[in-house]
Amino acid sequence: MAGPNPGSRRGRFAPYALISPGLLWLLLFFLVPLASLARMSLSTKQSRFDFDPSFTWDWGNYADVFQKYGVQLGRSFLFAAAATVLCLLIGYPMAYWVAFRAGRWRNVLIGMVVVPFFTSFLLRTVSWTVVLADDGLVLRVLRSAGVVGVLRSIGLTDGDRLLDTPLAVIGGLTYNFLPFMVLPIYVSLEKIDTRLVDAANDLYATGSAAFRRVVLPLSLPGVFAGSLLTFIPASGDFVNAFFLGGTRSRMIGNVVQDRFLVQLDYPGAAAISLVLMAIITSAVLLYAKLLGTEELA
Amino acid sequence: MARTAPLWTRRRFLRNSAALLGGVGVMPGLLTACGGDDSASPAARSSADGSGSTTLTVDSWPIYIDDDPAEGTVARFEAATGISLTWNETINDNNEYFAKIQPVLSDGKTIGADIISPTYWLVPRLVQLGWLEPLPIDAIPNRANLLPSLKNPSWDPGGEYSLPWQTGITGIAYNRKVTGKVIGSMADFFAPALSGKVGVLTEMRDTIGLLMLADGQDPASATFERAESAFARLQEAKESGHIRRFTGQDYLDDLVAGNFAACVAWSGDVAQLALDNPDIGFAIPEEGGMRFADCMVIPKGAANIDNAARFMDFVYNPANAARITAAVQYISPVQGVDEALRQLGGEAAALADSTVLFPDAATTSRLHVFGSLSEEDEARFDEAFSAIASV
Amino acid sequence: MRARAGRLALGGAALAGFVYLFVPIALIVAFSFNEPAGRFNLVWQRFTLDNWLHPLARSDINETVLLSVEVALVATAAAAVMGTLVALALARYRFRGGALINLLLVLPLTTPEIVMGSSLALLFIDRGVARGFWTVAIAHTMFCVSFVAITVKARIRGLDWTLEDAAMDLGAGPWRTFSRITFPLILPGVLAAALLSFSLSIDDFIITSFVSGEGDVTFPKYVYGAFQRELAPQVHVVSTALLLLSIGALGLSVLYQRRRT
Repeated sequence: MAGPNPGSRRGRFAPYALISPGLLWLLLFFLVPLASLARMSLSTKQSRFDFDPSFTWDWGNYADVFQKYGVQLGRSFLFAAAATVLCLLIGYPMAYWVAFRAGRWRNVLIGMVVVPFFTSFLLRTVSWTVVLADDGLVLRVLRSAGVVGVLRSIGLTDGDRLLDTPLAVIGGLTYNFLPFMVLPIYVSLEKIDTRLVDAANDLYATGSAAFRRVVLPLSLPGVFAGSLLTFIPASGDFVNAFFLGGTRSRMIGNVVQDRFLVQLDYPGAAAISLVLMAIITSAVLLYAKLLGTEELA
Repeated sequence: MARTAPLWTRRRFLRNSAALLGGVGVMPGLLTACGGDDSASPAARSSADGSGSTTLTVDSWPIYIDDDPAEGTVARFEAATGISLTWNETINDNNEYFAKIQPVLSDGKTIGADIISPTYWLVPRLVQLGWLEPLPIDAIPNRANLLPSLKNPSWDPGGEYSLPWQTGITGIAYNRKVTGKVIGSMADFFAPALSGKVGVLTEMRDTIGLLMLADGQDPASATFERAESAFARLQEAKESGHIRRFTGQDYLDDLVAGNFAACVAWSGDVAQLALDNPDIGFAIPEEGGMRFADCMVIPKGAANIDNAARFMDFVYNPANAARITAAVQYISPVQGVDEALRQLGGEAAALADSTVLFPDAATTSRLHVFGSLSEEDEARFDEAFSAIASV
Repeated sequence: MRARAGRLALGGAALAGFVYLFVPIALIVAFSFNEPAGRFNLVWQRFTLDNWLHPLARSDINETVLLSVEVALVATAAAAVMGTLVALALARYRFRGGALINLLLVLPLTTPEIVMGSSLALLFIDRGVARGFWTVAIAHTMFCVSFVAITVKARIRGLDWTLEDAAMDLGAGPWRTFSRITFPLILPGVLAAALLSFSLSIDDFIITSFVSGEGDVTFPKYVYGAFQRELAPQVHVVSTALLLLSIGALGLSVLYQRRRT
């Protein structure tokens, strides 16, 4: 990581002095809280209004996570995975087109990917409720095209509507995390020397072969980073399911929010949070192994 | 909580300076309009807490007061008393609010507010936890105007800790543009035609209360066994997709947008909404409706108990209460509001004849209050309800 | 022919992606010109300029925006300093524990917000710290430090540090070397990272909802609550104005880059 380092003669302690404020902050406000979370997840409320649950090695909270909220947990990863795949399908062509076809407008266009995200995340999501509303244009068009019936038959929507269905939640997640997919892919594509692409085009018979053999492998780090930046926040999100989901599209984030902020069930919420984190961490490691990417940042 | 102070102070400052400038000319007129009791000089009511402070903070629900910056209750109270009143609309959900204040109050510290507005069922819990100050009843002479039926409520026998802020009816709201007709009963509400187009409240007593009534059970004597079929019906309606969403006050969005054909709703909200959307109506279900009260209570350690009492006294003056009623369209707990509304004239006068605002005997007989639950039963109700509504 | 068809398909797909990105944005802009019937600016009624003529009419909304800006400024400033120092250390020195630091920096980015929010809230509750402005600022600083450190590190990794040594050799003291050489070198990276931090902080909802007190209503918290009671067109006006500001900033930076190259 650290480059050749002529400055090291300025004392061995300099780097530690430089990192200490930031390091201390992350220790105090990221790692220590995780320890509190772990401790709380093994605690028990002695009564309904016991606001200071005592630490008892109570593994029951973890059993509850799977028994009571297994459905929401599974649904969260399903929705997040679907949104990640959709982001990739929508975002890759965008990044590719901007990187190789947009010419001098590259910077403007990549800026356009970011611009929508300077409005409020919540208001954007609220706007989707207007777009997808029962007497909205989108639903009318899809209905007359007969698409709604198909979507319902494969379980993506409920009844004759789009809003308050799993599809709307997945759509919202895809929308809200799309830039996190486009930007890293763009960065990795932008680094590719266009002469390399030209050479590949000469070398391979078809454009698709050139893409498969040269461009795609070189963009994989971007795909990897983009997938993580989409999948992780999507799997813990509760905003999209709150505004766009119905009774049968609640995600695990909604459960944590409810257990913690409404029901005051700190041990339960802590156990769910930790399970979520453990599953995500293992998924990330597995994914890194599959794609052969070692370095995250 | 501490953080909001500078912001509020800034606003307070502007408002206070404005009041100071305008006050000289306006105040005498306002004071006579408000009735004698409020004109008592601040000095005449020396503080019981000895602080002599001139501030008051209230945590309430959204859109629950007439909020005109010049003519509204806040402005008139400030002009009449010289107390600067901070009105926070921070309560969206009883449980959520309870969860927010719990760490502070159970630590023995004080929350910033001097008056908070929990719904009736939360009051006994707060009393039991020792988180409320008893009301300084002697400092609230207008408490005599409390409706007799609310003088000795089940949630606070003797009214030692609480005064109702507003009361209301939980019933069904519907959008005629979607339904094509009036939804007047729970049978209509659960008719297959409305499948996927109805919402129910996350407030347990409202939703389960209506469902118990639909089952012919009286929620006044609710036990978990008697509510079991109501829970079963709720579960079934959720799983079949009949219920589209569990909502807080956000049912208003879905009702306006036409996503809900009908939903469980609060009377005043719907009356306010119907002013701009004539297709929207409210019905007390044939099987019976629920009655609720949101209360004013003083949290433990509140800094301005004296000023809190003065505010309660102010809003229990029928002339002042009528203005709140005209804006929020809930049932006032104050006697004589109908007369005061007639005196206000105009649109307000018409409200005096509304049976939703002033339920007659026939209407009252169709309304029920959720009985108090034993601690053990309440836990079972909450657990069963959140297992359906929150996941 | 085939190549041309492929090109068209690619352009079409990219265009469709951009349309998807801008649908809700177009709606937000449009609804800032709506004259709503009643409390919810969610159904189109008729065109009006009123909302734009009175963009600050709602003092309650203005206060929430102000609070969000205050939090974002504090968090960005703190994170920019701490994050840049970490980035400098990692880019300039090879030291024991560097790899571990790298891992620690990445962790907040690979942890769902809901986990960070709930764990921090528990810490504050455990220690009896009342949640308020400072707990929100602390939380925002925490995730911004990581972003700043990683962004700045990536930007300055390839810089030529020999200039620093040259300055030192010529007798400049460490402070002078920093202010004259190092700081100008890293400044563009730090500014970019600070902008990113600012936009992350000002729009954060999930973590804020756990670590804020009852009375600390940031703009995102306001919008969440507004869905329950009253969505005023001024919300759309404020959001559109923020959008225009950022487009302006983007335009300026593109022009600036053009002029430099």
